[in-house]
Amino acid sequence: MELSAIIEAISSWAASEPRIYALIIGLIGAAVISGVINIVAMYVVWLERKVLGDIQARYGPNRVGSRWGILQLVADAIKLFTKEDSIPRDADKPIYVWAPIVASMTTMLVAAALPFGAVNIGGKEYPLVVANMDLSALYVEAALSVMTISVFMAGFSSNNKYSLMGAFRGMARMIAYEVPMGVCVISVAIMAHSLNLVEIVQSQTLWYAFAQPLGFIVFTVALITDLGRIPFDQSEAEEEIIAGYTTEYGGIRWGLLYFQEYICMFLGSIMLVLLFLGGWNGPNIPFLTPIAPMIWFFMKVLIVLVFLIWTRGSLLRYRIDQVTDLGWKWMLPLSIVNLAWAVVVGLYFA
Amino acid sequence: MPSASDILSALQSAFPGSIQESRVESDSRLWVTVDQKKLLEIAKFLRDKQGFDHYSGSAGVDRMADNLMEVVEIMASYANHNIVVMIKVKTPRDAPSVPSLVPLFWNANWYERESWEMFGINFEGHPELYPLLLGDDLVGAWPWRKDFKGYPDTTTGKRTVERVDASGLTSYRIGLTDEQVDSGQIPQRIEYPTFREREEAHIESESEMILHLGPQHAIVPGPFLLDVLVDGERIKKAFLDVGYIHKGIEKIMENRTYLQGIVYTDRMCYLASISNNEAYCGAVERLLGVTPPERAQYIRVIAAELSRIQSHLLGTGEFLTLLGSATYSPFQYMIIDREDVISLLESITGARITHTFVRFGGVRNDLPDGFAEQARKVMKMVREKTMEYKDLIAADPIYRKRMDGIGVISPQDARDLGLCGPPLRASDTPYDMRREDPILAYPDLDFKVISRKEGDSAARVDVRLDEILESVYIIEQCLDQIPEGPVQEKLPKKIKPEPGEAYYRTEDPRGEMGFYVVSDGSDKPYRVKVRGPFYATFQTFTPLLEGVYLADVVAIAGSMDACTSEVDR
Repeated sequence: MELSAIIEAISSWAASEPRIYALIIGLIGAAVISGVINIVAMYVVWLERKVLGDIQARYGPNRVGSRWGILQLVADAIKLFTKEDSIPRDADKPIYVWAPIVASMTTMLVAAALPFGAVNIGGKEYPLVVANMDLSALYVEAALSVMTISVFMAGFSSNNKYSLMGAFRGMARMIAYEVPMGVCVISVAIMAHSLNLVEIVQSQTLWYAFAQPLGFIVFTVALITDLGRIPFDQSEAEEEIIAGYTTEYGGIRWGLLYFQEYICMFLGSIMLVLLFLGGWNGPNIPFLTPIAPMIWFFMKVLIVLVFLIWTRGSLLRYRIDQVTDLGWKWMLPLSIVNLAWAVVVGLYFA
Repeated sequence: MPSASDILSALQSAFPGSIQESRVESDSRLWVTVDQKKLLEIAKFLRDKQGFDHYSGSAGVDRMADNLMEVVEIMASYANHNIVVMIKVKTPRDAPSVPSLVPLFWNANWYERESWEMFGINFEGHPELYPLLLGDDLVGAWPWRKDFKGYPDTTTGKRTVERVDASGLTSYRIGLTDEQVDSGQIPQRIEYPTFREREEAHIESESEMILHLGPQHAIVPGPFLLDVLVDGERIKKAFLDVGYIHKGIEKIMENRTYLQGIVYTDRMCYLASISNNEAYCGAVERLLGVTPPERAQYIRVIAAELSRIQSHLLGTGEFLTLLGSATYSPFQYMIIDREDVISLLESITGARITHTFVRFGGVRNDLPDGFAEQARKVMKMVREKTMEYKDLIAADPIYRKRMDGIGVISPQDARDLGLCGPPLRASDTPYDMRREDPILAYPDLDFKVISRKEGDSAARVDVRLDEILESVYIIEQCLDQIPEGPVQEKLPKKIKPEPGEAYYRTEDPRGEMGFYVVSDGSDKPYRVKVRGPFYATFQTFTPLLEGVYLADVVAIAGSMDACTSEVDR
């Protein structure tokens, strides 16, 4: 096999010059990710508008770019870029300006450590990951919670009552759900004997969604909370506090804050698939062997995305005190029970 | 059950000499004119001894020819009997002043404030006589008095309000420049604290702030100001300000003929335009002394119930989007169902929203051909879908968590606050105008008055959904029973009722809709007073929202099914 010979040569070179190899991969990865992620997020928005439209007996976007409206989001992005950039007079200007930037940077930090599927060449799987670090599961979870800092920056600096309340709600929610989410990641790591996402995927002969169903449920709920989607979107509940922390943002600054939510949604779905749904594992597809793992992976991600969109069309919103109640009184104990389960079962199977 | 004449004789024996005039219109309507010094005692007597526990509203009337101002207090009973007593008090026009009923009935507050700002009638003992509907610059102009000549025209810079006085000369009452006012020239502005000052007087510590939910906000169905004083997520106090879309419909109707007035009743609340038509036409029919033919009565019932179904469907759907977000899909499904109901109404009336369908002594036209089959089909669909929505919200854990036990109003509180319509019936008080006042074909029809024991937000929505089912049942009976015959009584082309007055109530989708119409024998009404249902419900927001979470404002306020347009009129 010629292709595998090339890969072999690159691998042996990488083993001899690990730093230069990491640098090159990092540069290419950064360029690819920052481009691809934003376009994917645009199509996550498109998917949401289309699926929600269908749930609500509407059409959704159907004018710009064929009758499927596939260029609607491009038009929206152009509109946002050309809008007037206004900053409220009483805003805390540096923080106000930096909040959307911090938000975008956070998503990139998360994306750097996530494997986006794998390719199968010559019977060997090569995961597509920029930074394949040993602690990637923990790192991703930690980087995702940095997002809340940007929410707080935006809410605090806007000098607006609605924004401030939205920011406080976001913080309270994050603190209540980040802990059970972390415990669930640890439970998975215990079963997989590794915190490396690639190794976690490779160890899933039985999906962890079945091996630890409790953890799967808790993680899913915590993920929806982290993404700030209905029923946990108290930080931007328009019926109560207008638009929450984004109230004072306009133009492309608002666009960045809005987009990072959908980037997070995409990355969160990937996390869920990697940790609990067997990642890119799946039966081989004839004639498509090299990209079979990719097909399985993105099919699973798509299903998770549609599930997240479906919740938005059919669920109501919790009150903020009920959310924190649920987090501390149910999710945290349940995640600890799941941890115990993972330890016992993990030892048994080890 | 006592009748109106029993109440009158009880009044005459308890207050000899204080009952100046009286008229027993029917078994359930009593008109008395009483001495204004005795008003409080008489109202207390009626409330405590005769079971008149429902203060239904009040109206001011400017009797310029007699140099008098009248205040008409409308009192009824929730459960004891179905008599409505209209108590009139006369007061001299140059210094009008009557005792306030707020100490007896909490909900007299807004009615008296409105009479004060519109007619300048002083209510002695009123705790907060501030303008309600008018802007601050018009207070003191008393715009609904008969000699009022127009509003200050700020567009052209003409700052005066002209008023003809007794000598025939014009005097200028407000709209003077600030310098003239500052120099102490008469007239002076009436002094009262502004809305903002009244609000900020309640702030006690640094951690509290006032959050505006309106006039432009996602929860408000039309513009009104709901300010909440919050401490964190908890609400300490709520403040309401209305009048953002005050159209002065009552005054406009005084300047239009009786027939032209129907058009304005549509515009008060587009979700209940048939009920508003009905209430106005009913009152004028009482003045004219005509009864619509039987077929027209059935058609009016069908139209009113269809309009109730579409209003409840939209009200419930909108409310659910407030609890979730605009993406909550059952809202769209309800809109789709409502579409069929609206089409039915369109096939009868020719219009989708503002129907102007009911006429004095009948309706504008007969039912179209094939209406019965189409209506039966749609009613079957509405019934099935409504059952589905009931199942949906009964099984939704988040809905139950947000709604059960939120905004509980006890039956006694509901009566004291003067609620009406579904919010009242959700608090275990089966009070329905269709039962209380046997109008149209309702006495021949079999229907239940829906009520719930719980009194919380969930019960209010349940009442509405059950009322849809009940309306479907009523319409199906009407389709079976409707007789053949004419749909319009013969009336002269120019309608000129005898001098007199009438009060007529119907059950609006939001509750008790009453029209008080005074005739002076001309072709235009002398005074029209709208006793709107949501006006009564609306003023209870202030006490109901105290101490709840910010998110519960949506659950409580939304479950009342607001219609700002009708409040402001």
